[in-house]
Amino acid sequence: MAGIMAYRRTDGRVGIRNYVLVISMVSCSNSVAERIARATKTIPIVHEQGCTEFEHDHARTVLALTAAGRNPNVGAVLLVGLGCEQTDIEGVRKAIASAGKPVEAILIQKEGGSPQAEKRGIEIVQELKGICASQERVPCSVADLVVGVQCGGSDWTTALSANPVIGVMSDLVIENGGSVLMSEVAGFPGSEHIVASRAVSREVGLQVLDMISELRAEYIETYGQRIEEVNPTPGNKAGGITTLVEKSMGNIKKMGESKVQGVLKLGEEMPRPGLWVIDNRAQGPDPFNLTGLAMQGAVVTAFSSGRGSPVGNAVMPSIKLTGNPDTFRRLESITDFNAGVVIDGASIQETGANLYDLLLEVAGGKETKSEINGNFEYTIPREAARKSPEGGCRR
Amino acid sequence: MMEKKAIRIEADDNVAVVAQDTEPGDSLICSGGSLTAVDAVPAGHKIALTRIPRGAEIVKYAVTIGLASCDIEPGAHVHSHNVEDITDRLCNEYEREFRAGKR
Repeated sequence: MAGIMAYRRTDGRVGIRNYVLVISMVSCSNSVAERIARATKTIPIVHEQGCTEFEHDHARTVLALTAAGRNPNVGAVLLVGLGCEQTDIEGVRKAIASAGKPVEAILIQKEGGSPQAEKRGIEIVQELKGICASQERVPCSVADLVVGVQCGGSDWTTALSANPVIGVMSDLVIENGGSVLMSEVAGFPGSEHIVASRAVSREVGLQVLDMISELRAEYIETYGQRIEEVNPTPGNKAGGITTLVEKSMGNIKKMGESKVQGVLKLGEEMPRPGLWVIDNRAQGPDPFNLTGLAMQGAVVTAFSSGRGSPVGNAVMPSIKLTGNPDTFRRLESITDFNAGVVIDGASIQETGANLYDLLLEVAGGKETKSEINGNFEYTIPREAARKSPEGGCRR
Repeated sequence: MMEKKAIRIEADDNVAVVAQDTEPGDSLICSGGSLTAVDAVPAGHKIALTRIPRGAEIVKYAVTIGLASCDIEPGAHVHSHNVEDITDRLCNEYEREFRAGKR
């Protein structure tokens, strides 16, 4: 089994980075959190929420902030709040600390104002950085890795070269005992029969089919149209996609061909390693999905973009690849891997094996372009409240 | 002039994807073999690798993505004009049989 050097946390999970985070509890404390992070060269997480939210939305805010701190790539955390916000800073602190890492909290009102909070925050973060600097990587294995897969900013090469290459990498991660997280479930309709046929059990097959039936029903309820009526889009057809099965397969190709272990809602713990589907239906820019993967404990994500994308994540490196050789040449400063060699004649298998090698290097500490360029986005994936069959609301 | 190429994604596929705009008569390298285009096929579009009779499955990614709505010759452009979209049928039949315990 392939070995990697990484950080084993006291909860047993393994991180490939030792990031120190400065998390803002409410938009009112964003600027102070950002200034502390800038002064200490650490990573800030700021957002537009944290107060006067409805229960459904606030639960998502708290989950996202807690999950950021709990991600195994995070070595220590400073929470920065105002003092009267809806977010319970002590609750978040305890939830992150239970993953076995130092977490400190400061409130602007209690510290005597912004300059005071900033000064105190910088002192605390310097101490936390000292603690993290003393921690060392230890021998771990691919079986400890949780790897996300995603695509965004697609072009005609995404489904042809980049995503099949990611699929080969995914299969190698699973063969070596590791875990792969696939989300983007809005792209599943049309190939749900293929995903369900790879389910590890009948129960999981039903989970997949139930999720997609629900998604299809939501489209009809919201828009009065079936997904097949608007897909493939005229743009897809002009690009060569003929049917919805074909379009959808281009997306799920990233999962590889391993057995699907189950469908998890955001915040639901992964009970065992393997290939998992994350039911994140937030519709928005790419960081929505990427953040969802990080919230589920992914420590790295392979992200393909035909047109090129700089996005990263506050708690995990994002390995950027493109299936388009021209995009790689033009945007090498934001792209880690050229899967466009497939367009030039290289084999998908061999290129996927090379991507897997890069994944192991990144796991061992090699910085990705997203990290070098300082792309540390964290965008809380907002999902609309859905009515449950019982008539109440659920997330 | 660079050699023109078509990419077969899985070994079982009966279509490949052309890697550049292709003109009728162009010779294409594909998975170690070669193929002559009989239609104009834009980059990213599919080209038939074998003769696909009317009603036969179009296979890409090693799965059925549609049915030939007419006889398709090797080297022909494969798209909406000669493919029937059976996504609905594939998904519904599978789901019905799965829920009935037949899968």
